[in-house]
Amino acid sequence: MQDQQLADWRAHALKLESEVNKVVVGQESPVRLITTAVFARGHVLLEGDVGVGKTTLLRAFTRGIGGGYQRIEGTIDLMPNDLVYHTYLGEDGKPHVSPGPLLMSGQNLSIFFFNEINRARPQVHSLMLRVMAERTLTAFNKEHYFPHMLVFADRNQVEREETFDIPSAARDRFMMEIPILVPPAHDIMESLIFDTRFHDVDQLISNVEEDILKFDQLNSFAKVIQDNISATPALRKYALNLWLATKDPLAYGIKVSNVDMKRLVLSGASPRGMGMLLRAARVNAWLNQRDAVIPEDIHAVFHETIAHRLVFSPVYEMRRTEIAREMLSGIVNAVAAP
Amino acid sequence: MKAQKTLFACLLMAMLTATTLPAIADVTLPNVDNKYVTVKEINPTRDAGYVVGDKLERTIILTVKKPYELIKESLPIVGYEHRYRGQVSGVELANISVEDETFSDRSVHTIHLIYQVFKSGRVVRPAILRGEIVKLRHNGKTELRQLRFPSFNFRTSPLSVYGEVNLKNEMSPFIPPFTIDTKKEEQALKIAAGVLALSLLGLLYILGARTWLPRMGGAFAKAYRSVGKLPDNQQGLQQAIEVVHQAIQKVAGHSVFGNNVDQFLQEKPAYQPAKPEIERFFNLSRQVFFDSKTPLDLGMPAKQWLRTFCRHMRDCERGLTPDLNSVSKPGAK
Repeated sequence: MQDQQLADWRAHALKLESEVNKVVVGQESPVRLITTAVFARGHVLLEGDVGVGKTTLLRAFTRGIGGGYQRIEGTIDLMPNDLVYHTYLGEDGKPHVSPGPLLMSGQNLSIFFFNEINRARPQVHSLMLRVMAERTLTAFNKEHYFPHMLVFADRNQVEREETFDIPSAARDRFMMEIPILVPPAHDIMESLIFDTRFHDVDQLISNVEEDILKFDQLNSFAKVIQDNISATPALRKYALNLWLATKDPLAYGIKVSNVDMKRLVLSGASPRGMGMLLRAARVNAWLNQRDAVIPEDIHAVFHETIAHRLVFSPVYEMRRTEIAREMLSGIVNAVAAP
Repeated sequence: MKAQKTLFACLLMAMLTATTLPAIADVTLPNVDNKYVTVKEINPTRDAGYVVGDKLERTIILTVKKPYELIKESLPIVGYEHRYRGQVSGVELANISVEDETFSDRSVHTIHLIYQVFKSGRVVRPAILRGEIVKLRHNGKTELRQLRFPSFNFRTSPLSVYGEVNLKNEMSPFIPPFTIDTKKEEQALKIAAGVLALSLLGLLYILGARTWLPRMGGAFAKAYRSVGKLPDNQQGLQQAIEVVHQAIQKVAGHSVFGNNVDQFLQEKPAYQPAKPEIERFFNLSRQVFFDSKTPLDLGMPAKQWLRTFCRHMRDCERGLTPDLNSVSKPGAK
């Protein structure tokens, strides 16, 4: 029974991927990673240059997943209460309060899309921390629940003025940080310029089939995946070694060019981070029609689930992306399995 | 009259003296006692193959103890040629030199003799450097003694032979039987032996289980030996796979997984011929360690397949092309 359920949902997941890939071209890898995060029930942070299609990608997913969709733009003057409610003067001349984006869809909130999250103030980040971790919010003397909510946020690291770096504790709440790059293939680049269907995003998104997944069943199905995809002792040992290597890369002989490895890592991956890594790896195994996790499943999500959790010495923070990538590649190369 | 008799007597004495002196010189003297002399001879290194004109050098080191001393005049002179039954021997003394050393109780004479061969024949014949006879004088007395040096036997050869030799007339124990020219065959035999030796060496190199030749201590050569020693059970299989993983990792310089086999082959193209087997190995590893449902058909027991795989990888390691067909043959060694 569960095998059939797993197979049916896999078909839906692949259908979702296929639909998104129709409108966002050349991003097969990020699409697979976001699909993985959806079924692992993890929040996603997208990072990339301006205009590479981050928003389009997330909107396409939102349409396919179904459920309530809310969106907010990160700005420097955005305050936490802007997420919860907004006030206005009604036609009757009296002040009114209406639910903000977090509350508007109630428990049906499926996707909360935070655009340019690094433009928001730390107070906003703090609120998001709680919502992302606990999926609850206290407002109007009432506890609000968002059991099906996933937060998709994006940030661009090109502009640093008037932005607030997301603290490591907030970054750790995201299951993955996925880089979105311009597709290198010239035919795709040419298509993005000249194919008129890419010029109207709303029209483009409307091509994605709606409600491919049943958003309100995702939580329970995610549990089915986690319960049915096994991890052998050899894999557990491998994952443990990976974790230890993130904490003390020097002990595993890992070197990063022009970096003092003794000073580099202040904190490796967190237990929550490693838990998310294995959740994502299980989903990857399921998507690849396997009943057990193999090292390649971990590799498929390793960079994206671990890189943003590493805490480096401040002196190396400016080179975070490059150093994290090199260090994690070094870990994969150094730690053997079995 | 008396004066005439005296003159006649004197003439007679002089005539007798003149006729007997040479006889005195050739007279055979008694041999000296061996305790007064020692002779050491240094003869030519070869004793055959001398042709007309060849020279033989011989050195005699004669030690004469007091009271005897060597009479230098008794040494042979250049041009002297021995005779035997009235026939010249055909070996002539061409040079002689003597170095003397005198000590309180003895004198040492180093006599260098060079003989030259002046005879030739149609076949090989024996010849001899006859022992020279020297004379010794007892110091303070008129007593003379003689000493004969040891002789040296050798063979002379014809310089060249013209026409046919009638062997019946020329029979000699020194003439070997005529043989067929086997130079070509000998050369071919040497070449064949060389090729055989190289082939054996190559075979040892390929099949050898030891590391006494260069590139025999490679990671897969070691893995091949290790895998063979592991027990034939599930634990042994797991250990064998780990050994092979370590070998691959050692060759690559980093961890290799099923998803970066192509990268490994790009870095180490020598292993490209074994790509299908490498992929099967990773499937085997996956099946044993991570996912027992991984489909895999090795066609033989996993341990046996692993050993064959190691051998193929070892071939690649040594720059050879592995015989992948042997994988499908159960029992292949």
